[in-house]
Amino acid sequence: MGKYIVLRLLQTLFVLFGLSILIFFIARVVPGDPARVALGSLATKEQVQELREEMHLDKPLFVQYYFWFRSILRGDLGKSLYTRRPVTTDLKEFMPATLELMLFSFFMSLIIGQVMGVLAGYFGNSWFDNLFRVLSYIGIATPAFAMAIFSLLIFSYVLNFAPAVGRLSLGVRSPHQITGFFILDSLITGQFSIAWKALRHVLLPAASLAVANIAQEGRITRSSIVENLQKDYITAHIVYGIPTRSIIFKYLLKPSLIPTVSIMGLDFACLIANAFLVEVVFMWPGFSRYGVTAMLNKDLNAIVAVVLVIGVAYSVVNVIVDIVVSFLDPRIRLQKGGG
Amino acid sequence: MRPLLEIKNLHVRFRVFEGELKVLNGVDMVIDEGEKVGLVGETGCGKTTTVKSVLRVLPTPPARISAGEIIYRGKDILKMKPGEIQSLRRGEISAIFQDPLTALNPVFTVGHQLYDVVKYSSKDRDGKYLSREGIRARSIAVLKETGMPDSERILSNYPVQLSGGMRQRICISEALSVAARLLMADEPTTSLDVTIQDQVLRLLAKLVEEKNISIILITHTLGIVRELTDRVYVMYAGNIVETAKTEELFNNPLHPYTRGLMSAIPKLTGEGIAKGIKGRIPNYLNPPAGCRFHPRCEHKMSICSKERPSFFTTGDNHRVACFLYQR
Amino acid sequence: MSKKEVLIAALSRGRYSFSKGWYKFSRNPLSVLGLIIIFLVILAAVLAPYITPYPEQAGPFTNFREASLPPSLTHLSGTDSMGRDIFTRVIFGYRFSLMLAVVVLGLSIPPGVILGLIAGYYQRTWIEIAIMRVTDVFLSVPPLVLALAITVMLSPNLFNQMIAISFMWWTWYCRLVYTMTTSLCQEDFVHEAELTGAGKAHILLREILPNCIAPILTKMTLDMGLVIIVGASLSFIGLGVQPPKPGLGTMVADGAKRLPAEWWTAIFPALAIVIIILAFNLAGDGLRDMFAVEEV
Repeated sequence: MGKYIVLRLLQTLFVLFGLSILIFFIARVVPGDPARVALGSLATKEQVQELREEMHLDKPLFVQYYFWFRSILRGDLGKSLYTRRPVTTDLKEFMPATLELMLFSFFMSLIIGQVMGVLAGYFGNSWFDNLFRVLSYIGIATPAFAMAIFSLLIFSYVLNFAPAVGRLSLGVRSPHQITGFFILDSLITGQFSIAWKALRHVLLPAASLAVANIAQEGRITRSSIVENLQKDYITAHIVYGIPTRSIIFKYLLKPSLIPTVSIMGLDFACLIANAFLVEVVFMWPGFSRYGVTAMLNKDLNAIVAVVLVIGVAYSVVNVIVDIVVSFLDPRIRLQKGGG
Repeated sequence: MRPLLEIKNLHVRFRVFEGELKVLNGVDMVIDEGEKVGLVGETGCGKTTTVKSVLRVLPTPPARISAGEIIYRGKDILKMKPGEIQSLRRGEISAIFQDPLTALNPVFTVGHQLYDVVKYSSKDRDGKYLSREGIRARSIAVLKETGMPDSERILSNYPVQLSGGMRQRICISEALSVAARLLMADEPTTSLDVTIQDQVLRLLAKLVEEKNISIILITHTLGIVRELTDRVYVMYAGNIVETAKTEELFNNPLHPYTRGLMSAIPKLTGEGIAKGIKGRIPNYLNPPAGCRFHPRCEHKMSICSKERPSFFTTGDNHRVACFLYQR
Repeated sequence: MSKKEVLIAALSRGRYSFSKGWYKFSRNPLSVLGLIIIFLVILAAVLAPYITPYPEQAGPFTNFREASLPPSLTHLSGTDSMGRDIFTRVIFGYRFSLMLAVVVLGLSIPPGVILGLIAGYYQRTWIEIAIMRVTDVFLSVPPLVLALAITVMLSPNLFNQMIAISFMWWTWYCRLVYTMTTSLCQEDFVHEAELTGAGKAHILLREILPNCIAPILTKMTLDMGLVIIVGASLSFIGLGVQPPKPGLGTMVADGAKRLPAEWWTAIFPALAIVIIILAFNLAGDGLRDMFAVEEV
């Protein structure tokens, strides 16, 4: 088992290395002069030249990559051309907001999605199941930004159920930063009203992100349960007198969750990408919105850093998911490891 | 002495898209205590459905029991409440299935599954279960009885790590833990190697003798039946067509179908290729009227396509469902 | 048998399995609905200039007197801030979406499939390692991110959007076909083909590939929807179809600014996106059912 993990990690490192090369070269292939773009059209030629030298833009691409890689290893992701701050500072500031959003969304999709999926599967072809299937079709077909727009309209403007913009309303002071998670921080410092307000603010964006995942993961769980209900071993369990409660929550659930867990990992990682759109609609000051801004401004260092962070997160999540799946399904473990 | 199990006129139907499959068409069987009974028939004739009906594990949305009674020790299983059926499953009746690989849950160790079976069947009069050690001890004991080498180590394995014979032994252990009186073995050796087949069958025979359990041995292999059973029921397309003591059936098969089966056994004395029975099993959506075998029967008479034959008795408790033997 | 007879036999066999496949597909009314919607949308998009009420408003056009009107009988989906009929623009918007999907898949599927076949066949050689490592790199980030990054580097318009998305979309098909090829290579019929001296191209294209067609087709149908989502998302951010062209995502972005008062400017394009993606998903599910082997 340990051998398997080490192998996967090495593979991941290699892939990330390849990714860094890929994104680096793509970023540098931009038509136009990034230094000029950064400084604006009012800057003088000398200033532009100075910046070019500082950024090693006059040297061949491979040399640029070497410099960049070296500074990565030192933890220096360069300076954002737009905010003029080190990219790492930017990341530290915006990351928690997006993480908070992602975690909320993940738990929503986990709880709502799995419960609905199990119920729909166990009571196959009931009215609940049919309703679930119709809703899940629509959920999958709705891109995150459309979901954001719909929910914004319905829940915020029409029903006035949740606020529309940002992490907290204007005029509300953000809590003392411990973790960067507003909700946690305000709970820790005892400012419950702020915690409640922050919760209401995160609800709609998290839900917009979660809907597609609820639909997709719930469907997979549902069909998994339906399929496994017909398996011979479930009949055998019943025949040998195992109580129904045990059968559903242990012997049926575990094999049925296996396909879902893989997707859940993938979806969690994709949350980073989809968060781009939702953060823009809800003006959520997160990492993904930072990424979009960086891209629109052709902020090279920031773009490269953002893509790399996403790549790392994605790969790490995939490795974790693989390990969890092989833990859940002994067949995979036994066929890969020993022999 | 009343029989242990009596199946009377059991009709089972399956709902499918095109209509209803009339799978069981009035099955009649009687099993006495301690009796070893064989149930023989082609694949698809309804043997497994019968077993599942007894244990009430038919998938009841598509399937339904449309008529009949299953009387176990005087009470009709079909009318029992869920609690009563559950205690039957945990202490009196059990089954072994054809493919031990699919009958075991692949993501749990065999030990885990066996412990659970032993645990729930061990509820004593006060409603308490055995302790952990007690369950473990009993599991190992029952596993040893099936001749499993190295029982303790095996229990921590997953089904995929064990061979076919070992898996079947696990299933047999599970069944034995709960079957005090009746065991239904549905083609227990079909998916095993020939050498293992022999072992498993001998094991079943031994255990059944020792514990005085009744057994219904379902198979499509006549040779097995001849060796191991006292009485045989021959099934065709959802009906029992003939039943007799084993020896009597093999010496004197009466029903045209049974005779066809017997003559289809290749003989080592080299008398040429067996003839076989012409035609194929009927379509259960629109089964033949009257006797379901009549389209394939060489001796069919006009009454055969109109009425379903009931049992006619000849000789020593030898019953045939065929108008040829009508007195 | 003569060549002609062989051909006729093959065709009639093909026709038989087609009608059988259609029967399975049509058993699910939802899938048929999806197919109908797809057909209608394609028809509408192709005939857009002829069937929309105000075709001239699909491009640059202003009529401030009729600006920001709610849905009515003359303007089925209302008008936007420039006075353009939204219904017309949505139909024209479908043109962009469909074109994007067709071009991207047309560009990315052939190379992806071929590379997957080669990588799967030449296992444990440097060819396989090279191809699959590159694929891994591309697949190591969610598709939207990479598409974004690439589009940004080129100037944002529909054409570059197509290039950007195709540039990494092939990897999905490469991996799909690779997985299938590696397991199919264990099968006997491949060994037999090799032993009888069949050329590599023949084995790959005539023996292995036909077995992969089913999942490829299913994924292709579902991908049509996925590519449209990615394209619309890019346009939403401003990196796709540029105004005044009526891209669906672009229109949603424009409408998003005007919520909630002029809700129709955002909702109708968004609904249009949902409908076409829903249709592709339903049809894709139907395809999956069609190809599924029935259990006895």
